[in-house]
Amino acid sequence: MGAPVSALAPTVRGWHTPAEMWRYREMLRSLVVRNLKVKYQRSLLGFLWTLLNPILTLAVLATVFSIVVRIPVPQYWAFLVSGYFCWNFVMQVIGAGPFLIAEHAPLRRSIAFPGEVLVLGAALARLVEFGAEMFIALVALIVFRHHGIPLSFVTLPVLVLLLLLLAVGLMMPVATLAVFYHDVQHALPIVLLILFYVSPVFYPARMVPAALRGIYLLNPIARLLTLFQTVLYDGRMPSAAAFANLFLIAIPVCLVGYAIFARYQAVFAEIV
Amino acid sequence: MCEHVVKRFYHYEHRTTSLRELFTRVVRRRPVSVRRAEFSLVDFNLCVERGEAVALVGSNGSGKSTALRLMAGVYAPTEGRVWTRGRLGAVIELGVGFHPELTGAENVALYAAVMGLSRHESRERFPEITAFAEIGDFIDEPVKYYSSGMQARLAFAVAVCVRPDILLLDEVLAVGDRSFRERCFDFLEGFRARGGTMIIVTHDADSVRRLCSRAVWMEHGRVRMIGPVERVMDAYGDVGSAGQ
Repeated sequence: MGAPVSALAPTVRGWHTPAEMWRYREMLRSLVVRNLKVKYQRSLLGFLWTLLNPILTLAVLATVFSIVVRIPVPQYWAFLVSGYFCWNFVMQVIGAGPFLIAEHAPLRRSIAFPGEVLVLGAALARLVEFGAEMFIALVALIVFRHHGIPLSFVTLPVLVLLLLLLAVGLMMPVATLAVFYHDVQHALPIVLLILFYVSPVFYPARMVPAALRGIYLLNPIARLLTLFQTVLYDGRMPSAAAFANLFLIAIPVCLVGYAIFARYQAVFAEIV
Repeated sequence: MCEHVVKRFYHYEHRTTSLRELFTRVVRRRPVSVRRAEFSLVDFNLCVERGEAVALVGSNGSGKSTALRLMAGVYAPTEGRVWTRGRLGAVIELGVGFHPELTGAENVALYAAVMGLSRHESRERFPEITAFAEIGDFIDEPVKYYSSGMQARLAFAVAVCVRPDILLLDEVLAVGDRSFRERCFDFLEGFRARGGTMIIVTHDADSVRRLCSRAVWMEHGRVRMIGPVERVMDAYGDVGSAGQ
């Protein structure tokens, strides 16, 4: 039975090479479209919700923290806009984790395909919404804050890459764990709420007492948000060290997350 | 291009107890006796040649569907190996994993994409699918409003539209109505004539005799008998009627 190995169909495996993943590009594309479609199906305002929801949240935050609790930051709305969408993206991608495998259980049980496609599908669908939000944020920042396009904006693609690496890297272990323990979906909102307060979303990181800042910046999201605020709000070019620093965190986070996902994904179909 | 399936795997550990239970037991210091392995397939060997049609028969829980899922690459074998060559088309769950909120058309597109069809190909084959499934205008309704028969018809139509070399069918023929079954039979006979390989799981002895050349009779995760369809079905039928 000397069947050439190269012609064998993929049986369940943890890791997939980029070449293997490339075969599933059409699936990824249709998953992204589908994720966006399902989300806004049978809602009157449709895709507008993606903008309305964060804008309303932003309005509330801006009102509370510039009128009631006064955060000493000039043009507070601009500061808020600079970090909030980034935070929103991270939160939504991680928040999609617990339902990722369960939602596709029937598909998972009927056809063999790499689970990574589901992860990317969820993240990229969110990235489309993030793009729409950022577009509006950028226009507002350019017109009302910087009165021009600051040079620092050219680093945005790098920031978005970091954002993707971190969000996906954190989401994969969450998705994996949620397959085994349903507790994850109950615990996650609490964790995300805590993360919201210990990340510089509605206050700048420099307000954190210097003594605590070392611990504070262990949170990679705090570093990422600060980077976003430097580029978007300050319009300043961040140091190369700040980028390198974050890559040194984001890449391992993503790899470890993928390792966990890859280790267990072969049994997903049996459990969900 | 050519297709030649060799499947050898020994047993398959099915985890029926939840790991969360295990976790709480550890925390509460209760005896951890839950994680026993249940074997739903033991030392299963099957070699299917290209162009063959093999039926898996046996009572519920005998491991037929598990075997099919292993061949589909959905489950990983605990031991042993599963090899397939050629494009697989599988109808394992009712509705090939359709998403209930999406319309029939969208689900077809998604399935075709998972199977690696380009957008162009899937659009090209779309009329063929709707015609075969006889789904009519319902194709633009969410799948959750479909009857089980409609789901089964669409699932079958989609699975065959990817032009598979190997077809894995789990109880599909039992769901559709008579005219659909006839069309399925016609299709499957043509499929075999063109050199396609198929492995079907069914309780229906007539379709087994009509479509398959070989049968595997499974019992408690083991192969009880394997051989030419007539012989196996006769033996299986005897036990079935004796048991009633």
